[in-house]
Amino acid sequence: MVTKVMQMILSPVLALVVGVFFLGLARKIMARIQWRYGPPLIQPVIDIIRLFYQKSVSHGRMFDLGIILSLAGSIVVVLFLPFGRICPLAGSGGLLVILYVMLFAPLGIALSGGQGANPNISIGISRKLILGLGYEVPLLLVLLAAMTHYKTISIVEMVSVQQNAGWSITSWPLLLSGVSYFLILPAILGIRPFDVSSAPQEISSGPMVEYGGKYLALATIEHALVLFISIALFVNLFLGGAANPIIFFVKMLVVFVLGVCVNAVFPRFRIEQAVKYLWKWPTLLAFVGLVITLAIRS
Amino acid sequence: MSLQILLIVAFGGALLTYLLGKISAKVRNFLAVAICLVLVVFVAGLYGKRIEKTFYFGFFDLGLVLRLNTLSWFFAITIPVVGALSIIFSLSYIRGRERTDFYYLMMLLVNAAMLGIVLAGDLVCFYIFWEIMSWSAFLLISYNRGPALAAGMKYIIMSVIGSVCFLVGMLSLYASFDTLNISKVASAITSASSAYILFILAAFGIAFGIKNAVLPFHTWLPDAHSEAPAPFSAILSGMLIKMGTYGFLLLLYVIMGLKLFLSLGHGLFSLHRILCLLGVVTIIIPTFIAILQTDAKRLLAWSTVGQAGYIILGIAFGTNLALAGGIFHFFNHALFKALLFLAIGAVEFRTRTRDLDSLGGLAKKMPVVFIGTLAGICALIGVPLTSGFVSKWLIYKTLILEGSPFLAFFALVGTWGTILYSYKLIHNIFLGQLPEKYKDLPKSPFSMQLPVIVLSFAILLFGILPGIPLGVINSIGTSFGFEPLNVTIWGVASETGTLNTINIFSAVLLAGVVVWVVFRLGAKSASVPQEDSYAAGTHTPADKYHYTVEFYNPLHRMIRPFLKDVIDEFYSWIASSVQRLSNSVRCVYAGDVGYYVMYIISFLAFLILVQLKFKPW
Repeated sequence: MVTKVMQMILSPVLALVVGVFFLGLARKIMARIQWRYGPPLIQPVIDIIRLFYQKSVSHGRMFDLGIILSLAGSIVVVLFLPFGRICPLAGSGGLLVILYVMLFAPLGIALSGGQGANPNISIGISRKLILGLGYEVPLLLVLLAAMTHYKTISIVEMVSVQQNAGWSITSWPLLLSGVSYFLILPAILGIRPFDVSSAPQEISSGPMVEYGGKYLALATIEHALVLFISIALFVNLFLGGAANPIIFFVKMLVVFVLGVCVNAVFPRFRIEQAVKYLWKWPTLLAFVGLVITLAIRS
Repeated sequence: MSLQILLIVAFGGALLTYLLGKISAKVRNFLAVAICLVLVVFVAGLYGKRIEKTFYFGFFDLGLVLRLNTLSWFFAITIPVVGALSIIFSLSYIRGRERTDFYYLMMLLVNAAMLGIVLAGDLVCFYIFWEIMSWSAFLLISYNRGPALAAGMKYIIMSVIGSVCFLVGMLSLYASFDTLNISKVASAITSASSAYILFILAAFGIAFGIKNAVLPFHTWLPDAHSEAPAPFSAILSGMLIKMGTYGFLLLLYVIMGLKLFLSLGHGLFSLHRILCLLGVVTIIIPTFIAILQTDAKRLLAWSTVGQAGYIILGIAFGTNLALAGGIFHFFNHALFKALLFLAIGAVEFRTRTRDLDSLGGLAKKMPVVFIGTLAGICALIGVPLTSGFVSKWLIYKTLILEGSPFLAFFALVGTWGTILYSYKLIHNIFLGQLPEKYKDLPKSPFSMQLPVIVLSFAILLFGILPGIPLGVINSIGTSFGFEPLNVTIWGVASETGTLNTINIFSAVLLAGVVVWVVFRLGAKSASVPQEDSYAAGTHTPADKYHYTVEFYNPLHRMIRPFLKDVIDEFYSWIASSVQRLSNSVRCVYAGDVGYYVMYIISFLAFLILVQLKFKPW
């Protein structure tokens, strides 16, 4: 019981540390690729602390509640994800619940932003939801391939099978699915070339435009957690999870740096281009992956 | 005996309400609500009983039978609950309109007829109540006149086609087995040839499919749901189309039975596979059509078609989890779709419009309705901690573990489509800037808020403690011959993945509290008026600063070419061709005696001519 409670406190904190570290690292790597020096690694931490002390404006109760709901949702998803051996909510519904609890984050932001009464926000959310429809198609195919292959919806079990049988990305049926997941990762994270919903130069950061002070701080933390969640899901499903948090972190780091390097050099897609791309290559790969998985199973 | 009394109360109450309405409107309103509440209590008291009773023998030597089992009880309890809430909502919605007595009579009659359907123990009874329901629904759909008349006409024509199919199936069953008692038919049909079973399936399937709005029989639904008065839309979408679901359950699991159902056809062409595909198509296409709608009720109507697809998918897949998911989803859909229609009705009542392009910012004016809508769309999407999540989880899980990931894929993509239109609904009506003209909008009346509150509460209750309805559903499943599920109060336990809503609930609550505390600890935020927003340094216009028209414009451009309702166009083409044909017939058959005299004389002249020329006689 005590270890359970410890884990419950530990895993969101770890996720937060890793996520915020990744935020700083991303800025640094981007800067180096573009021949700049870039801000120090702990810049996001400084920003978050500073933002908490700054004044902000509120547009109503839903404006406050939405952002709280969104962050709370992300924290709950973290509790469902194994981080090494740490997984406080292992047996409560598996991957299907993760898939659905992941909805809290965009939904909360969307509700909060909607109350902000700024067309930039509405445009941003509209794009975010369309993009979601775009990446959800390959993502679902990928997750279904994994669940069909391991004949379970429990992510903990998938990890423990991989600990014995080797990473699933090295096995034939799931290789294509893994590649597909990697291709859509930037879309899930909303980073370039898929930053259509924030698009700072175009719609003033979209859903973020009315946020200031602590709202922006919470939104940044939320973004850090989403970063953690999407990469941790990839590591758990395809890179065999890990026996301890250190190895897990190293795996995440490799995936993240690869992702940032690939995406630092692309310009932004238009929303239609983004959806068309997502429905073309990643979907095709994921589809073939699922068909192979199904064929091997039966 | 008690079932007869139940139906007498339901039907007699309806007539009494009409008569009392002539004397006093207050007494009528009171009685209408009271009857529904009495029915709720009455049905609740029948929980767990199994009754089968023949109450009348005179009908061509066929016994008319009333029957109660777990399946019919579960439907029977939902009917008066939704009915009572809609009638409470009607109190202020319909006040001051003309023909209110008639309105209440029809509302109660629909409710009574639906109760009759689920309690019917033989097909004659079923058919009689089915017709009462269809016709009183027709009268209610066209209550508003204008475009509602056309919508009602569309509904009743399709409904009559369904009834004819039902009648054909029923007569054929009577000719073959000499009985129409459902349990006797069920035991007789096992020896029938599979071709005959297919015929019966087609006949009844069309009848139930039209009511349940399964593709390709869905075309009446969007018009009917959007044109009907809001409280009746709630019943229509919540309960009436579910009579089709009940019919399917009766047909597939009670009459045919589990074994026969799963053994019909083989391979890709097995019956349950085809039905599953039909369910998936019914999920996907209407969901994307809903995204394109600009009328709030029409959007919800298309969403109803889509959600009916989940129910059909669950019922047709034929495992205990899927069946539980399907029946549970029926129950959830009755709750949340009634809630959404009532909420939109409350908005329409105050603003006199349901055009998604001209509303906005109403969350501040109608907080209760807003929260209700929020709960409703969360359940519609299937957000955890609302009851919609549990039913979808059950369906998805069994689809995945039984090796049908593609069915699961389409169902899940349908869910993301649901997010798009749900957000559009709530954003365009309740969020964003409040237009100037709604600045002094009065609050919703209490009789409109009450049903919204009750339904929102029910959605959360059954989302956090899904074991309450799942216990009943589980015993329905076992009565069909399935393995019982391991139902606990907070979900379903099994080796291949447990659902535990209490854990999710406490985690969300805990995380929410932690984040809230952090939020409170930060520097204070100042509340600002809606015009005080960032507009890149320029002045913010006071009105019409709400991005709503073509909310998903890029997506519209992508999907619109693929989403023409070909089926509806085809039916309309048939209808107009029939009309043209009838018109040309009418030129000949004009109803004027002069014409007929002329026809007779020319025919005689023709005969005389023939006789003179050829002398055949």
